[in-house]
Amino acid sequence: MNRNRIGTLIALCLLPCAAPAATSDARDIVRSAIDHWRGVSSVSDMTMTIHRSDWQRSMSMRAWTRGDELTLVRVTAPPRDRGNGTLTDGDNMWTFSPKVNRVIRIPSSMMNQSWMGSDFSNKDVSRVDDIVDQYRHEIIGESAHDGHTLYEIQSIPHDDAAVVWGREVLAIRDDHVMVRHDFYDQDGRLVKSMQSLEIGEMGGRVVAIRQRMTKADAADEWTEIRLDAVEYGAELADSVFTLSNLRNPRNP
Amino acid sequence: MNIVLRLAWRNLWRHPRRTWLTAGAMVFSNVLLVFMISLQFGMYGLMIDNSLRTLSGHLQVQAPGYQDERKIRQSIPDAAALAARMRGALDLQSVAARATAFALASSEERSFGIQVLGVEPRFEPLVSSIPGLVREGRYLGNRDAAEIALGGVLARNLKVETGDELTILGSARDGSVAAAVVEVVGIFDSGSKDLDRSLAEIPLGFFQDTFYMQGGAHQIVLLLPELSEVDEYRQRVQALLPDAGRLVVLDWDELQPGLKQAIQADISSAFFMYAVLVILVAFSVLNTQLMSVLERTREFGIVMSLGLTPGRLARLVLLETSLLGAIGLLLGALAGGLLTSWFQVHGFSYPGMQEMAENFNLPARFYPQVTLPSLLIGPACVFFFSVLAALYPALRLHWLRPVDAMRAA
Repeated sequence: MNRNRIGTLIALCLLPCAAPAATSDARDIVRSAIDHWRGVSSVSDMTMTIHRSDWQRSMSMRAWTRGDELTLVRVTAPPRDRGNGTLTDGDNMWTFSPKVNRVIRIPSSMMNQSWMGSDFSNKDVSRVDDIVDQYRHEIIGESAHDGHTLYEIQSIPHDDAAVVWGREVLAIRDDHVMVRHDFYDQDGRLVKSMQSLEIGEMGGRVVAIRQRMTKADAADEWTEIRLDAVEYGAELADSVFTLSNLRNPRNP
Repeated sequence: MNIVLRLAWRNLWRHPRRTWLTAGAMVFSNVLLVFMISLQFGMYGLMIDNSLRTLSGHLQVQAPGYQDERKIRQSIPDAAALAARMRGALDLQSVAARATAFALASSEERSFGIQVLGVEPRFEPLVSSIPGLVREGRYLGNRDAAEIALGGVLARNLKVETGDELTILGSARDGSVAAAVVEVVGIFDSGSKDLDRSLAEIPLGFFQDTFYMQGGAHQIVLLLPELSEVDEYRQRVQALLPDAGRLVVLDWDELQPGLKQAIQADISSAFFMYAVLVILVAFSVLNTQLMSVLERTREFGIVMSLGLTPGRLARLVLLETSLLGAIGLLLGALAGGLLTSWFQVHGFSYPGMQEMAENFNLPARFYPQVTLPSLLIGPACVFFFSVLAALYPALRLHWLRPVDAMRAA
C-alpha cells in the first residue's frame, strides 16, 4: 500500500513537469515564427486581392511594423481607396478614411469584423502575437516539407482568453515559415484557413510571399496577400506609429 | 313534437337547482371561452399588423438568396425605378425601395456596429411605422442629403443629439471602403429595443453614393391594405418583375418566419386548454342527465308499457339536454359578450405582459375584439359536446325493459 502511494506521488509530481516541457517547445516554435515574420521592424509593400464568385478586386498597400505591438497599414492604390489606413497599438486599433477625413477607433466589439472588406478580421491584422500567450500549444505532428521539418501545432485558447476560436492548428517549418494556419470554431468545425502558396526569399529572409485566407464553407471566396517587397530591421521612429501620421502621412 | 318540447321544458324544471347548477357551469365556461378567444384573435391581428408595419411589409422583392445571406452584392439593379413602376402598375402608393448595409457608426466619443438602411424618404413612411415614431427632430427629407435618423438607444449609446455629426464606415458594394459623415436629423423610438439599439436610416440616394450601389438596392417593400390580399398581390408583383429568376417575391411568412410559428404555437397551447374546459363541462352534463334518467326509471317503464317507443323517450332526453345547452349558450354568450365589450373599451393587461408584448412590438394593453365568430365558436362547442354527452343516457333507454323498469326501486 505504501509503495503504491509513493508511486502515485511520483507520478503526480512528474505529470505537471512533463507537460510544460512539451508545450513550451511548441510555444517557442510559434513565438519564433511570429518573430521571423515581423522581425524587429519591417517595411513592406503588399497587394491584397479579394476574390468572390462573381468579382475580384485588388488593393496595394504599404505596411510598417515594430515589435509585437505596432503596425501601420496604408492603402496606396487604387485611387478610390488610396489613403485609407489602419494603425494598431496592442489591443487598440484605429482606422482613417480620407473621404471623411477622420480617425475612428475600432471598438473591441468590431474586432471580429472583416478588415477592409477582406476575409481577414480586424483581430487577424492586429494582435498576431496574442496566440503566443493566450493559447496552450501542443505539437501534434511532424512531417517533411521542401527539405524542412514541418511541425503541426495545435493551439487551444485558455479559458479566459477573449477569442472566438475553439482551437487553431498551425503548420510551421523549422526555418520559422508558417505554411498553414487553420481556424476552428468552438464546435470543432473548420471556419477558415490560411495557406502559404508561395515561399521564397525576400528582404534577406525566407518568408511566405503569397498567403491566401479561404472560407471553409465557400471555396471560391478568398483573400490573398502578396508580398511585393520587404525590408527588415529598418530604424522606425515613434512618430511613424501615431494617429497624426495615420491621418497625414509623412512616410509615403 | 310540440308536446315533447313542452314535456322536456317541464322536466328540466323539476329540479331547478340542479338545472341551474349545470347551466351555471356552461355559462361560466362560455364566458371564459368568449373572452379568451376574442382576446387571442385580437392579439394575433395586432401582432401581425404591428410586426409587418415596422419594417418588413407584407411582400418584398429581393435578389435570390438575399433573405438568408444578406450580402451587399445581392442587389436589385435600378431599384427605385422598379419601385416607381410597381406603384403605377399596382395602383398602390405603399411601395418603397430600400438598401441595407452593416457599418461602424462613430461619434466624437464612441463607436458601434449598426445596420444602415437606405430609404426613399417620400415612400418609406407609407411602408414602415418608424418614420412616424421620430420623437426628436424630423424624419429624412431630401433623397441625396447627408443625414441620418437613428434609434433612441443607439443615439444615447453614441452620445449624440440632433444636429450632431456621425461618421459611418463600412464596405461598399465593390469592396472599397465606404465612409461618410452625416448629420443626425431625427431620433426614433420604435418600441423594439433591438431596433432602437442597432438601426439607422439614411436617404437612398446618399446610401447609393456612399456604398457604391450604382442605383441598386436590396429590397422593394410593399405594404398592402389587407393581410388577406397577399396572395393576389404576390402574383401581380411576380408578373411585373423584369426578368424572371433574377428577382424573387417573398411574403410576410417567409420574411418573418417566427411570427406565424409563434401564433401557431400559441393557438395549439390555447386549444389544449379549451378542450379540457369543454370536456369537463360535457362530463358534468353527462352526470346530470344520467342521474335524471336513472331516477325516472319507473316513470319511463310506465310510459313505455303504455306504448311510448324508446326512440321518442330518447328524443325527449336529448331535447332536455338541448334546452339546457341553449340556456347555457345564450346566457354564456350574452355575459361573455358584455364582459369582453367592457374590456374592448377599457383594455386588458396583466403583470409581465409588457415584456412579452415588446417582443412583438405590441402595446402594453390589449383591446379584445368582439366578433360574431369569437362570440359563438366557444359556446357552440360547449353546446355540441353537451348534447353528445347526453347521447349515452338517451341511448340507454333502448335497453330498458318496461316490466323490470316498473319494478325498479
